[in-house]
Amino acid sequence: MTRVKNNHNRPFSSTSELREKTPKLSSSKTVFDGIKVLFTLPVILYALLLIFLPLVYIFFLSFLKSDSYGGFLFEITLDNYLESFDPTYLGIFGKSVAIGLVTTALCLLISYPFAIFLRDKPERTRSLIITLVMIPFLTNSMIRTYGWITLLRKNGVINSALLGLGIIDAPLSLMYNSLGIIIGMTYTLLPFMILPVVSAVSKVDQSLLDAAEDLGAGPLKKFTKVYLPLTLSGAFNGSLMVFIPAIGYFFIADILGGGKAMIIGNLIKNQFLTARNWPLGAALSILLLILTFGLVKLYEKIGGDLDELGGA
Amino acid sequence: MPALVLKDYEPLLERYAVEKPGNRPRRGFWKNLYLLLVLVFLFLPIFILVIFSFNESKLNVVFTGFTFDWYKSLWGNADLLEAFRNTLLLAAVSTAVSTVLGTLAAVGLKKYHFPGKKFIDKLLYIPIVIPEIVLGISLLSVISLLNLELGFWSVFLAHITFSTPFVLTSVRSTLFALPPSVEEAAADLGASRLQVFFRVTLPLLKPGILSGAILAFTLSLDDVVVSYFTAGPGTNTLPLYIYSIIKTGITPDVNALTTLMLLATILLLVLSNRIKTKRLEKREL
Amino acid sequence: MNTFRDFLTSKKLLLLFLFSLLVISFASVFFVNFRSRSDADEPTSEKVPTLNVLNWTSYIPSEVISDFETEYGVKVNYGTYSSNEELLAKVSSAKSGTYDLIFPSDYMVDLMSSRDLLETLDKSKLKNLDNLNPRFLSQSYDENNLVSLPFLLATSVILYDSEKISTPLTSYHDLLREDFRDNLVLLDDERITIGSFLLASGADLNSVETTALENSLAFYEKLKPNVKAFDSDSPKTFFITGEVDAGIIWNAEALLAQTERENLKIVYPSEGFALSMDNYCILKHAKNPDLAYLFIDYLLRDDVSQAIVDEYPYISPNRSVTSLPDSELETILARGTYVKNVGNDIKKFDKLWAKYK
Repeated sequence: MTRVKNNHNRPFSSTSELREKTPKLSSSKTVFDGIKVLFTLPVILYALLLIFLPLVYIFFLSFLKSDSYGGFLFEITLDNYLESFDPTYLGIFGKSVAIGLVTTALCLLISYPFAIFLRDKPERTRSLIITLVMIPFLTNSMIRTYGWITLLRKNGVINSALLGLGIIDAPLSLMYNSLGIIIGMTYTLLPFMILPVVSAVSKVDQSLLDAAEDLGAGPLKKFTKVYLPLTLSGAFNGSLMVFIPAIGYFFIADILGGGKAMIIGNLIKNQFLTARNWPLGAALSILLLILTFGLVKLYEKIGGDLDELGGA
Repeated sequence: MPALVLKDYEPLLERYAVEKPGNRPRRGFWKNLYLLLVLVFLFLPIFILVIFSFNESKLNVVFTGFTFDWYKSLWGNADLLEAFRNTLLLAAVSTAVSTVLGTLAAVGLKKYHFPGKKFIDKLLYIPIVIPEIVLGISLLSVISLLNLELGFWSVFLAHITFSTPFVLTSVRSTLFALPPSVEEAAADLGASRLQVFFRVTLPLLKPGILSGAILAFTLSLDDVVVSYFTAGPGTNTLPLYIYSIIKTGITPDVNALTTLMLLATILLLVLSNRIKTKRLEKREL
Repeated sequence: MNTFRDFLTSKKLLLLFLFSLLVISFASVFFVNFRSRSDADEPTSEKVPTLNVLNWTSYIPSEVISDFETEYGVKVNYGTYSSNEELLAKVSSAKSGTYDLIFPSDYMVDLMSSRDLLETLDKSKLKNLDNLNPRFLSQSYDENNLVSLPFLLATSVILYDSEKISTPLTSYHDLLREDFRDNLVLLDDERITIGSFLLASGADLNSVETTALENSLAFYEKLKPNVKAFDSDSPKTFFITGEVDAGIIWNAEALLAQTERENLKIVYPSEGFALSMDNYCILKHAKNPDLAYLFIDYLLRDDVSQAIVDEYPYISPNRSVTSLPDSELETILARGTYVKNVGNDIKKFDKLWAKYK
């Protein structure tokens, strides 16, 4: 196979490292520089108005008192945070985190063997399979969730098939419970785990695997001693991209959970769209943000690059 | 919304391009089966949707007989078509704007310094990592604070908000892989800064811009959560429309539309593959 | 090299992508023009008058709306909600003037008019006003129909499969039986569902006393293992697809489920049930009040009211649209209770409702 080696093998491990080594082309003169304004002003406005302002505002909102009709009184209080720790809400938080963790674990369990088996495939097959993994992602996720209703309901395809084959004799409760939510979340978010894991696994040097094999390592040992340590940041990247949506995607919980097994996403949505308690919803969002930023910091700590997070 | 790490497939596909002869066929069977099962899992609901788009019955419960009727009645469903049109328009416009914004930002943040740059740089990662619901409610809160009316523009701004950082990171990764010498050489030859940008930098950035734009387009097309909070009356998008009718029962014309969209996607993939193979063949000759 | 990245970065694909963006933009514009040309009679007016409506899901058949659009050459933006609380949240968070016409229930009319959200109705603009049965006018929530006119009456009922459950059901307590494990659907509506359990535990539907609310929660805790789902949008679907065998749902939903599944039986629970009159209300600062009046007048027409009830068999206040014999109607009205505005105590319901989920 002939092919031109392309030059994407970056000499630096992370872009931030590179950033510092880039010569600064800008001149620090005080004269008005139209081109500089063109390149910097739009992004400054964007970042301040569409990212910073909204977040600061909900932070502020989370300390206000609600008046129960959708409005709020300008009175600073910690009540919303105290109320967030009410057993009712804590229970939902706990359940939601549990659903998120199970979903993430399932995605990891599915993705690792997938990535390792895919490694051995000829290149053409591999690119075909990856394209196939992409196709569902390019189809509307709402309609795919609806597809699961057809599959999972009491008289749905799966139950009918299992009943017909005589494997079960009463229909299983596959949806309108946490199981339904976990199936839906795992399904929707799986590509976000598969792709970084496949990419990380493929970067593992073959010579290390050969060496491990020569030293008598079985598949399990190869996995724990070679693959796992070398692909940790990829797996964490995928885990973040699965876990964070899995506690926020209220529509999946709504459709497959039957409106009762709530996740944090539903809780926040309800504060804004039915219970008219915006300050409480804002406080819950801030808590969710703290959790998120904590996870991202952890990711950076184990050597992950922010630019690779969900980056193209 | 988390996005797919496209740039990272490339090493996996090129590094171990050599086929290893030592594969044991017996073990290979189980491996293939596993890969197949995962793919089946990913395609299962899609197959079901496609099958039911040919179903005579209005309820997506039992298959009663084959028909093409839903593909005809689709064109009479004004609400569905309007939602579809809104979705495409929104995706096209927001992709165009966020691609320009993201590209300018990537270049601007690399080349120029201004007070608070570090802070802005950090802010730009936020839409990638925060839960969409937090983004949605915070935008809704500000719109409500400013007493503005929800409508096309608000969903449009919201889509720009979440897609620009993806374009930015995509362009940035290409940008930092560029040797600075190219731009310097152009500048030494007397090109103005704008000329350098348009004649040298931009063409070199095309791969990053393109994958960023495609990502922005797919994100916008599929977004539920952020749109849910920022859409106003008359700006139903396709995902929101489906969400609003999902409980009352989806009619198979929605399945029909999904099938058509799926076909278009596959067609696009096949077409581009065809183009590439042709190019490859040419190169090899 | 046939990689995914190559595929994404090929020059042809870029062109293809940009080209499709262009096509999409043009197609969208074409769609817009096409729609307004076919919908409006006068090609001179660039913008079609648009009415922004918020209504309950499954309440007005889409043909009724599209007939209105073609008859008057206007456009209706029809948004939906599944509970009064959702309606209130939508209306109060949106800039005033976003929506024109809404359909709040009794207690919500009271609440909204106390918050000065509703426009006083100019009844001279409604030619078909006389079609309304006076029996339904001047109710406690809006004494002289200053801000509201009745649209449809809903009641909550128990629906169950008489084939699968042999002993007949009469009360909410019967739903606690073992055979309903994971087999019930309840309305996703805090006032109606909590209200039903207040009735079940011997209190009034509108009680806000702490002990009464605690008792209702205790009743729900006992019922919980039996509850499969909460849904207000289309609980009938749960019955039709065989997902559940019983539930507390809206009367029209129950009737519709019966047409698909014959063994289903409707019961008006012995402890009482909720009455919910939904009303036409025009919001203050509505941008298109005249269009809203036009739409109300259209919906008040006998043929239109009939068409609505044919599709969604609620009880119509229109005197020529008969859905129930008078005596039966009177019994229902006598035994049911209207949900009342409880003012700031609504917070208690909000909080309790979070515990249900």
